[in-house]
Amino acid sequence: MDSLVAQYTRPAEQQEGYFDEDQLELSQGSPQLSLKFALPPVANSSAWLRAMTDDYSNPNCPIKIAHGTTTLAFRFKGGIIVATDSRATAGNWIASQTVKKVIEINSCLLGTMAGGAADCQYWLAYLGMQCRLHELRHKRRISVAAASKILANLVYNYKGMGLSMGTMCAGVTPQEGPALYYIDSDGTRLAGNLFCVGSGQTFAYGVLDAEYSYDLSDEDALELGKRSILAATHRDAFSGGFINLYHVKEDGWVKHGFNDTNPIFWKTKLEKGEFSNVTSELV
Amino acid sequence: MASVFTAPPLADNGPGYSFKQTPTTHISADGTRQHSFYPYTDNGGSTLGISGADFTILAGDTRSTSGYNINSRYVPKLFKIGGEGPEHTGSSIVLSVVGFAADGDALKERLDTVVKMYKYQHGKNMSVAACAQRLSHILYNKRFFPYYVHAILGGLDEEGKGALYSYDPVGSYEREQCRAAGAAASLIMPFLDNQVNYKNQYIPASGYGHDLQPRKAELLPRNTVEELVRDAFDSAVERHIEVGDGLQMMIITKDGIEEVYSPLKKD
Amino acid sequence: MVGKDCVAIACDLRLGLQALTVSNNFPKIFSYGDVYLGLTGLATDVSTVADLFRYKVNMYRLREERQISPQTMANLVSSSLYERRFGPYFVSPVIAGINHTTGKPFICGFDSIGCIDFAKDFIVSGTASDQLFGTCEGLWEPDLGPEDLFETVSQALLNAVDRDALSGWGAHVYIIEKDKVTKRLLKGRQD
Repeated sequence: MDSLVAQYTRPAEQQEGYFDEDQLELSQGSPQLSLKFALPPVANSSAWLRAMTDDYSNPNCPIKIAHGTTTLAFRFKGGIIVATDSRATAGNWIASQTVKKVIEINSCLLGTMAGGAADCQYWLAYLGMQCRLHELRHKRRISVAAASKILANLVYNYKGMGLSMGTMCAGVTPQEGPALYYIDSDGTRLAGNLFCVGSGQTFAYGVLDAEYSYDLSDEDALELGKRSILAATHRDAFSGGFINLYHVKEDGWVKHGFNDTNPIFWKTKLEKGEFSNVTSELV
Repeated sequence: MASVFTAPPLADNGPGYSFKQTPTTHISADGTRQHSFYPYTDNGGSTLGISGADFTILAGDTRSTSGYNINSRYVPKLFKIGGEGPEHTGSSIVLSVVGFAADGDALKERLDTVVKMYKYQHGKNMSVAACAQRLSHILYNKRFFPYYVHAILGGLDEEGKGALYSYDPVGSYEREQCRAAGAAASLIMPFLDNQVNYKNQYIPASGYGHDLQPRKAELLPRNTVEELVRDAFDSAVERHIEVGDGLQMMIITKDGIEEVYSPLKKD
Repeated sequence: MVGKDCVAIACDLRLGLQALTVSNNFPKIFSYGDVYLGLTGLATDVSTVADLFRYKVNMYRLREERQISPQTMANLVSSSLYERRFGPYFVSPVIAGINHTTGKPFICGFDSIGCIDFAKDFIVSGTASDQLFGTCEGLWEPDLGPEDLFETVSQALLNAVDRDALSGWGAHVYIIEKDKVTKRLLKGRQD
C-alpha cells in the first residue's frame, strides 16, 4: 500500500506545472533521441499497452498503430538488392500507399522496415546516430556486423515491452564486403544471404527461392527483387502501393526508383503472359 | 429491442465510436478485485490537410463528442505553434490533432513550448522539417503510454512550398500532399485520393483499352483546395455522427496564417 | 446508385481469406430477370443466398407468369432473411433495378436479418462501406445520365476499394436503363 501511495503522491512543490527534468528537457536546445520513455502508472505496463494498441489480439483496440509489410533483401555477386512495398495498414484500413520502408542510415548502410512503422523509423534513426558517433570516435566506418548488433542489443533491452519490428541491415564495408543481417524485436540477429520479412514474406520467398542464384547479373537481380515484391503485393492484402528498389554496391547504395505497382503489374501480365489468373476480358 | 436504442454504447464489442466512461472493475474467481486503467476517451471529429505550391490548408470540424453525447459545438482542433502572446503572432506552423482532446492539448502545449524555446535559444524560427521531426520524437517518447491522437502538421518548407506531415499515435511520420485523420478519415481519404491526386483518373481519348494514359497529379490552386475541403466535410457530416457543427480552416501562406470559420450542419 | 431513368450497381472481384487473396474473379452481383442483387459478406452464404433467390424468383415467375419487380424482390429478400432471424446468413444485400410498370429506378439495401433501407441516392455494403459512403457522398449528384452515372459509380467504387485492404482486384459495373443493360469490367489495381 505504501508503495502505491508513494507512486501517486509527490511533494507539494511538484504538484503544479512541469517537473525539473521536464524543464531541463524543454530548455535543451537540440532535440535528443532519448532513451527515457513515459510509462503508464500500472503494474503490468506491457499488458496494458497490448490491450490499448495491439489490433491482432484485440481488434477493437482504441489506438491503431500503423504496420509495415513486405520487404526483402538478398546477397549476390554484384552486391545486395533491397526491395520493399510501400503500404501501411491499420486494421483493414489502408493508412498510406507511399511509405518509405527503406531507411537510409548512411551512404553505405540501409535498413528496412516491417512491423511498427514508428518503432522502425525511430530506432533506425537512433542507429544512424550511433553509427556516426562510431565513425567520429574510431575514424573509420562501422561494420555492418557491429551496426546490426547495436540495434539487436537495443531491442533486446526492450524485450517484452511491446516493440514490434522486423528489420534487415544491408551494407558494404571494406572488411566484410557486402553483408546482410536480419534483426527482429525478439532480439534475433541472423547473418544470411536472403531474407523476406512481413505479412507477404511467403509470397516473396516463393518467387525469390525459385529464381535466385548467387551469380545473377545486376539487371536480373534487380528484376528478381521487383518481381518478388510484385507477387507479394498481388496475393497479400496488406502489401501494395509502390515498389522501392535499392542496390547496395561497393561504393555505397544506389536507388533504383519508387514505382507504382499498377503499371508494372499490367506490363508483366500483358507482355510476359504471367498472372493469367487475372481476367482482362469481360466474361 | 428498445434497449438497443436507449442504452449507452458498450465498451468492448461496440461499433467503436465510444468507450465506457466509468472505471470497470473485474472480480476474479478468488475474489480479488482489479480496477482497469482506462485513461482515454475518443472525442471524435475529423481533420484534413492539403498542401499546394505556396500554401498549406489545414481544416477540422469543431464538434467534441464522447460516445453519443456532444460535449461542445466549438472545440478547435487546429493550433498555431510557436507564436507570441494570446494571438500567436508570427506563427507559421499549424498543428492539428484529433482523437483524445486532452492528449491533443497536452501535445500542443509541449510542441509549442519546444518551438518557442528553440526560437529564444537560436534567435530564429524553427523550420517545419525540424518541427516535424521533433514532434515525431515527442510522440515516440510516449511509446509505452501513447498520446491517443492523430496529428497533422502544416507549414511552408525552406523553399516556400507547402509542407504537410502526418503522424500515427506513436510518431511514425511522412510528408504528404494530402491527409485526412480522425473519425471520418475513411470517408474523406478516398475522395481526396481521387480529387487531389487524380487516382483512377485517365486522360480521355489518350489510347484504347490498356493504352489509356493515367492522369498525372498536379498541385492545385488555393480556391480549388478550399472548395474540396468544404465538399469533403459536407460529405462527412452527412454520414458520420461525430463530425459536424463548424469547420475551422487555417491557410498558411508566406504572409502568415489566415483563419476561416464556416458553419456545418448541427444535427 | 440512382441516375435519371437509370440505376447502376457495381462490385469488386476479390475473394479472400483474411490477408490471402484466393480468387480475383468472384463477382458479387447476380441478375434475376430485370432485378440485380449484390451480395457481400461470407462467401459461402453469398453463393447460397444467390442460388436460393434464383430458385425463389424462378418459382415466382412460373406462378405469376411475369418478371419480378424490384420492389417485390426487396420484400422477398427481407422476409427470406428474417426467416433466419436467429441464425442469419452473413450477407448484406443490395438491390437495384427499374420498375417496368412505373418506369422509375429503385434501389435498396438490407442488414443481415432483412431490415430494408430504402434510399433515393445510393446504397453501399461490404468491408469498404465507410470508404464508399465518403466517395459516393462526395461524387454523386441527382439526375445523372447513364454515361455520367457509369463514371461516377466507377470512380466511387475504385477509389473506395483502393483504401481497403480486403477489397479490389478489379470490378464489374452494370448500368441498367429501361430497355438496356450494359455490363462493364473495370481494370482496377491488382494489389
